[in-house]
Amino acid sequence: MFQLANERVEKIKSEMQRYETKQSAIIPALYQVQEQYGWVSKEALDFLADLMEIPVAEIREVFTFYTMFNQKPTGKFHLQVCTNISCSMAGGRELTDYICKKLNVKPGDTTADGKFSVSKVECLGSCDTAPVMQNNFEYHENLNEAKIDQIIESLQKLN
Amino acid sequence: MLKCTVNGKEIEVAEGTMVIEAFKQAGEDIAHYCWHPGLSVAGVCRLCMIEVEGAPRLMIACNTQVTEGMVVSNNSAKVQEAVKWGLDFHLINHPLDCPICDQAGECGLQDQYMKFGQYDPEMAERKVKKRKVVDLGRKIVLDTERCILCSRCVRFTDEVTKTSELGIFNRGDRSEIGTHEDKPLDNDYAVNVVDICPVGALTSKDFRFKQRVWYLDNDSTVCNGCSTGCNVNVYYNEKGYFRVKPEHNKDINDYWMCDKGRNIFKHVNKENRLLKAIKKTEAGTQMMAPGAAAKDVASLIKNYSSDQVAVVFTGQYTNEEYEDAMMYIDKLGTKKVYHWVNNSESFDDFDGILLRGDKNPNTAGLIKALEAKSLNSTWEQLEAELNSGAIKLVILAGPELQEYFPDIQEKIQLFSKAENLVVLSSNPNPAYRDVDYLIPMKTFVEKKGSFTNFAGTVQKIQKMRLVVSQALSLGEAMQLMAGDELQIGASL
Repeated sequence: MFQLANERVEKIKSEMQRYETKQSAIIPALYQVQEQYGWVSKEALDFLADLMEIPVAEIREVFTFYTMFNQKPTGKFHLQVCTNISCSMAGGRELTDYICKKLNVKPGDTTADGKFSVSKVECLGSCDTAPVMQNNFEYHENLNEAKIDQIIESLQKLN
Repeated sequence: MLKCTVNGKEIEVAEGTMVIEAFKQAGEDIAHYCWHPGLSVAGVCRLCMIEVEGAPRLMIACNTQVTEGMVVSNNSAKVQEAVKWGLDFHLINHPLDCPICDQAGECGLQDQYMKFGQYDPEMAERKVKKRKVVDLGRKIVLDTERCILCSRCVRFTDEVTKTSELGIFNRGDRSEIGTHEDKPLDNDYAVNVVDICPVGALTSKDFRFKQRVWYLDNDSTVCNGCSTGCNVNVYYNEKGYFRVKPEHNKDINDYWMCDKGRNIFKHVNKENRLLKAIKKTEAGTQMMAPGAAAKDVASLIKNYSSDQVAVVFTGQYTNEEYEDAMMYIDKLGTKKVYHWVNNSESFDDFDGILLRGDKNPNTAGLIKALEAKSLNSTWEQLEAELNSGAIKLVILAGPELQEYFPDIQEKIQLFSKAENLVVLSSNPNPAYRDVDYLIPMKTFVEKKGSFTNFAGTVQKIQKMRLVVSQALSLGEAMQLMAGDELQIGASL
């Protein structure tokens, strides 16, 4: 059962007052849901449509446009590898393949133990330090295979 | 008014005109997918490229306003090169499944490709595969691969129906149109998105795979589904009638029509029609030619005095038919003429777009014809006289669209209180099983004439292909029943 916390509902309402159009509050609203649940379900979209009085298709347009909104539950560590131009030129796509092979998952999927999710994302705004990856909200820059090994190893030790 | 030059032609256009409209006005061809005269400007397909004298770069005609003295053209090599490449980009992920695509023959992409195509695509990348045959409810099928993301359908649901079911989801080359969780697209105007889709992404479940469009003829007429009188095009060939599409009329229906009106051709086809007149006899029933049956009725009428004969009309016939019918009613001498009002509770409903509660194309015309002859008998009088046995013979000019007459059974029972009941009808109905004479009528695509809509606008309907050649018009039937002969070639 989808139930957004009251303070988050209030936050969304205040965001809707903040901008010229309430459509501008769609991204902050989606963030409120994702912060609580870790992802955004279709029930959540219907809930937001009712709450904000915006057609659900319009919210879905925004939701599916951005790679930072998760369309399904993610693992404990969400590895988001940038495959936009600069990172791709610096080997971002090959690194994604490497990570996927290492963790035995496909891009977009989560490992069987629920620990890691891997996804390709659009520009993380750190082209000068390409290739770049985000683990949840933490940036890892100037990556190579050795660095990936290190990062994954240290994450595996955490519980 | 503003003067401008379009491909060398000097024309005058109204202030605020967009260049693309100036091209249309000048009769000059201009490639475009996303622009639609009934919707807002999106400017996404980038095909309506033009060269404006004095401007350094090409511009899009749909989003550029005409200014005084503007000189524009789209026939230079520079423009054609741009259009050619624009088209190639549209085709990057478009499947080449024209042979199995229902849009083939009336496809914007195909048309443009014939004119501007590269023919030798230079794209080495693989096409992005997307979802095909997405079921959007009982009316529409979506093929997201064929979609070129012109956004016409999205703007239609935002701007015309204001229901906003459709959106463009995902991004870049994975963008696709759809509804949230594939919810059905079932508003009352949904099929219009099939018409405005320039490619085969949105197709109509009712029409898809029935016919290739190049095997169809079409003629314009008026929808007979309600009193709005939307202008429509009906598509047909020797096998029958296949679909109805709206035709632009800025005063009545703009570019649109409702989904109910899409079905008005179905009763016309032979398998649903009454082909011969049926006379009830002591031994059972006898099939007759329609004209012969009407003459039979004429001799039957002679057994009664004129005030024993009643005529009941529905608002489903043309002005011309009512006029003729009134003439022969004069000849019969009866003043007992009645108007069967179907669904009177919802008669004045209006959905704010096009749909009206009066499900007759010509109620206004019928009322006018009755008033002209000062015929103002009430339904209560009819009921009273049927109950008292004062009326011996009833002639019913039955409804062509029977589904809008839910009380048909009940009314036939009422009319059957008379000794004889003659029903004129284009189609059979279980309720007509025991009537004394059932005479086949022409449908609205088999006769000329006019309908008067709710606002009093008189609009012409056209005679297209005959399905039941012996069927009569209301005027012809009344003429024969009044004892007159039909004149050859005089038929409507």
